[in-house]
Amino acid sequence: MNLIKNIFIQLGSLDRRVIFLIVGLSVLVPLVKPEWVSLPVRPKPHSQIVFDELNKLEQGDRVLLSFEYGPSTMPEIHPMSIAMLNHLFSKDVKIYATALWADGNFMSTDAFSEIAPLYKKEYGIDYVNLGYKPGNEAVVKGIASDIRALYTVDLKGNPINEIPMMKEVHNIEDFDFLFSLSAGFPGSKEWVQYATDPKNIPMSTGCTSIQVTDIVPYVENGQIRGILAGMPGAAEYEKLVETELAGKKHEIQPGEATRMMAAQSIAHVVIVLFIIFGNITYFLTRKSQRKGN
Amino acid sequence: MTAELIGAWVVVFLTLSIFSYLFDDNPFYKAAEHLFIGVSAGYWAVISFWQQIQPNLFGRLWPDLESLAGEKTLLQSIWYGIYEVLNFVTTGFGLLDRSVFPEGGIEGYDEIRFIYIIPFILGIFMLLRLVPKVGWLARWAIAYIVGMTAGLRFYSFLNSDILSQIKASAVNFSSDWGTMINGLIVFIGTLTGLIYFFFSKEHKGSFGTLSKIGIYFLMIKFGASFGFAVMGRISLLIGRINALKDYSAAEYNYATPIILGIIIITLIIWSLKGNRNQSELTG
Repeated sequence: MNLIKNIFIQLGSLDRRVIFLIVGLSVLVPLVKPEWVSLPVRPKPHSQIVFDELNKLEQGDRVLLSFEYGPSTMPEIHPMSIAMLNHLFSKDVKIYATALWADGNFMSTDAFSEIAPLYKKEYGIDYVNLGYKPGNEAVVKGIASDIRALYTVDLKGNPINEIPMMKEVHNIEDFDFLFSLSAGFPGSKEWVQYATDPKNIPMSTGCTSIQVTDIVPYVENGQIRGILAGMPGAAEYEKLVETELAGKKHEIQPGEATRMMAAQSIAHVVIVLFIIFGNITYFLTRKSQRKGN
Repeated sequence: MTAELIGAWVVVFLTLSIFSYLFDDNPFYKAAEHLFIGVSAGYWAVISFWQQIQPNLFGRLWPDLESLAGEKTLLQSIWYGIYEVLNFVTTGFGLLDRSVFPEGGIEGYDEIRFIYIIPFILGIFMLLRLVPKVGWLARWAIAYIVGMTAGLRFYSFLNSDILSQIKASAVNFSSDWGTMINGLIVFIGTLTGLIYFFFSKEHKGSFGTLSKIGIYFLMIKFGASFGFAVMGRISLLIGRINALKDYSAAEYNYATPIILGIIIITLIIWSLKGNRNQSELTG
């Protein structure tokens, strides 16, 4: 018994770099050898709501897709963007992209250039990228009231008035749905506060894990319809889209988030174990110190 | 392919440089950190100028002359004279090609909107912060931003975060048992959480008990937030390690193992030379 106790106490003085190394390996091994760890992805109710809401959209409906993330949060949000474009393009929904973050321009350009050619979608007719505008919530408010007061040209420099799919679009009320791909401020919260709540437009969000506890009150209240929560949310949505498109013209393979979920799960187990060991060590050390005193 | 290859090597070098901080604060980390800050600031400034200031401010003040209705008036001639002066200055006194102020005005709007002179002047005031003698003028611009933002946020916050959330915390007794119990938990959590932050009465007796219950609800919230934060950070780590794994392939000339080797060897030499301790001391 004393031996186990001593091992735990010794663990308490473990060099933190060893912990970093173990966490790193717990991520690396499932990525290098995915066949060693195969875990199923089961969609949770919030992801299912997002999918159902988007699946309700019909051909020709307009969706405003806002890119509020950058390279730093790409692993969590970008798989959602890719799955979403697959889902919406397969339904022939018209997509209007905007960005509240400067980096969002890279993300939207990358996602469109990867997916639009697969569905033979034409720029300006099936999708348009309005790009980034600085101003945070003022931009959201601008889109809610008058897009043309804010955007004179799109991301490529084409005058807005010359883009065919922009002809009947003047403000947020001309969209059937809004989806915010959000990694922080400005993001989903601002869309709720300045656009969808006042104008009563349905919206959903896909956000980083760290934002989930801040966004969930809006979801529970129905102000946001469902939420894709971080990488697990992205994997669940990928799974739903994959199932939806299975056997159809544009069948898709499991996405990036699904591939990375094994690493996420193993890393979580390792961290949970470290937390448990850390607590046991803490209590044992405190007890032995008290006895010594 | 060459550009992609160079890009991959730069990505690997910067990622590993940042990761090297896990070993200790070192020159690789510092270089990557400074580069990130510099590039971010530069990119943000350029994008802000070309996406907002040039088309939306200058474009409204000096729209394309061809889109203006009727004959050019004397006032317009003077106004576009200022435009030409600005162009002369921004092109390095005529040495560079026109870019910020194109020939004949900026496309996008069909009338001059003089009201935008106000934000233009406030913007200049903001920059005057760099001149100590007239730096106080920046306060006017800041006052405008603070006032406008407070006003803008007040209504939306009240509507979306306060009124809607109060409505959502009400218990619906006509719903099923599960929803009702869930609603009761939310109601008790909201009430006791608010009691914890009520400091005008001493937290004693039944009031203290309710406040204690509030603490437990808050702890659960913090725990959930911490769990999600860990999940988020691990996702980012997975993204980086996945990229490093991809770039370790032969098509990228084994960028990851080679750069990793170079960084490790350099850090060992740097550490043995005693720079590490010095760095810790000077921190």
